[in-house]
Amino acid sequence: MRRKRMLTARSLRKLEGSLFIAPWVFGFIAFLGFPLLFSLYMSFHTVKILPNKVAYDFVGLKFYREIILNSSALYDKLIPYFQEVVLMVPVIVIFALMISILLNQKLYGRFLFRAIFFLPVIFSTGAVLLQFINQGEGNLGFLERFELGGYLDTFLGDSSWAKPVKEVLNHFVLVLWYSGVQILIFLAGLQTISTSAYESARIDGATPWEVFWKITLPAMSPFILLNLIYTVVDMFTFPSNPVIELVNTGNYGFNSALAWIYFFIIIIFLGLVILIYSFMNRRHAKTYA
Amino acid sequence: MRTILSDVKGRRFLTKRRVRQMRNVVLGKEINQGLVFKLILYAVLIITSYIYMNPMLKMLVKMVMNVKDLVDPTVTWVPSSIYLGHVAEAWKLLNYENSLMISLFIAVSVAVLHCISCGLAGYALARLDVPFKRTIFFLLMLAFIIPPQVIILPTIMFYTKLGLNGHLVTLILPSIFGFGVKGALFVVIFRQFFMTHSKSLEEAARIDGATALKFYFRVMFPLARPAILVVFLFSFVWTWNDTYYPRMFLSPTGDMPLAMKMTFIDTALGQFIQNGGFPEYVAEPIKMGASFLTILPPVLIYLFAQRYFIESVERTGLVE
Repeated sequence: MRRKRMLTARSLRKLEGSLFIAPWVFGFIAFLGFPLLFSLYMSFHTVKILPNKVAYDFVGLKFYREIILNSSALYDKLIPYFQEVVLMVPVIVIFALMISILLNQKLYGRFLFRAIFFLPVIFSTGAVLLQFINQGEGNLGFLERFELGGYLDTFLGDSSWAKPVKEVLNHFVLVLWYSGVQILIFLAGLQTISTSAYESARIDGATPWEVFWKITLPAMSPFILLNLIYTVVDMFTFPSNPVIELVNTGNYGFNSALAWIYFFIIIIFLGLVILIYSFMNRRHAKTYA
Repeated sequence: MRTILSDVKGRRFLTKRRVRQMRNVVLGKEINQGLVFKLILYAVLIITSYIYMNPMLKMLVKMVMNVKDLVDPTVTWVPSSIYLGHVAEAWKLLNYENSLMISLFIAVSVAVLHCISCGLAGYALARLDVPFKRTIFFLLMLAFIIPPQVIILPTIMFYTKLGLNGHLVTLILPSIFGFGVKGALFVVIFRQFFMTHSKSLEEAARIDGATALKFYFRVMFPLARPAILVVFLFSFVWTWNDTYYPRMFLSPTGDMPLAMKMTFIDTALGQFIQNGGFPEYVAEPIKMGASFLTILPPVLIYLFAQRYFIESVERTGLVE
């Protein structure tokens, strides 16, 4: 008797839970799951849109082979963008970490500075930012002032890195603008470190430098990983990235295959980021054990 | 003799103390409390803020320069007079009143719907007994990292099939179910927030016989004010600025939100210039004016809400 009642209570709870999550699950199926599978299906087919129906001809891996082996679309547009992302991610995360530590100090006008550093989140997501990039705003000006361009040319030669490096330097301030959410995440993370940890370190005679490496950085480690992942995802789903032009050209099968390859590249990229992170983390733990 | 000695000693002691006090003021008992450190901190913050704000300030200045100032190389920061003609031109090109209303309508409804739908999902994942919870959490992570480019083509096809393509509703529809611009992130934020609450509240409600849904809307949802504020603002701003979905779903001739309208200004201006409408250097201040008009509403909202907002972010534990 008792057991039966407990069982019904449990299943009632499960029912409630299902009720709460049901809209999201439905949304997932309708707006993500099904389109995802359908796009996978299309990537193996030639899609012809006829007046009254859509015809699918199976072509197997043809598009994938075409993109990876024969097409320059992927390499011309995506590789330089990836190179830019490789440069931007560490810049953004390190800048966000530094600023959040500064903003976490007790000082007058803290709110004002926080407001300033968070302001770009309001518009660093869209058309306005592109407008700034096109206008050449966000250039610090040191590229010309110190003739860094020429120096970069001789240093990087005509390796494929010359262009991305210059591109990033050219809108360096705007790169910093991407760090609004990251600064917030770090600020929230800094709040989780107890003040007593700092106090006891001070009593033991640790310098601020040591305190940073031994207390702040290890405590921030999970937030650094979170920010790395967030930044990478943000960069790759950003509306100015070059895949957009590629996806919107009409050939549904080909474009779906391209989108899937893009997705895999992002996954690999994320995997690499996590790998590098865990490697650095272990080394840091060893040095400061 | 003795008194003189002790006096000297005392004075020496005094000066020593004075010196230490002085040092404490300048360098601080701890290095991060001293005057020198504070000054350096302020200097660093002010300089970075300046660099940070530079493009925005330039935008504001450029947009009010008249034609004479624009061609005058000596005028970089202070225009000789404030000229609002370019902003007025941008206003006209953007079809501002109309686009503003569309943007407001879409962004507000998406933000409200996100607060409701993502709140429900986040609460379920944080506190309720959901079958296949791990799978659903995995799907959530998947939803977070899948780029919209992968699923955009089938989505367009389905909207076409439903006869919705080109309709503004397509931008709002996903948010009813917690999708749309960064929907997965909002679910995670709500989940994080609800995780921090104590279980006893729910147990008390359960003993009182409240159903989960009633309990959620009566107790938990009102308690989640910081999370709601954060999600509402993020959702509003990101939907406001989004140009990707509108470009994919809306027709280029129909009604469109501000941010998307702005991307069309380039082409419109290009045509004007080609037809000899005005010289090329006038295009830039008009574009700046358009940028300004586009970001003005979110910035106003942010200025109003930022204090609560940043406090809320710290309290939501927007982490993990």
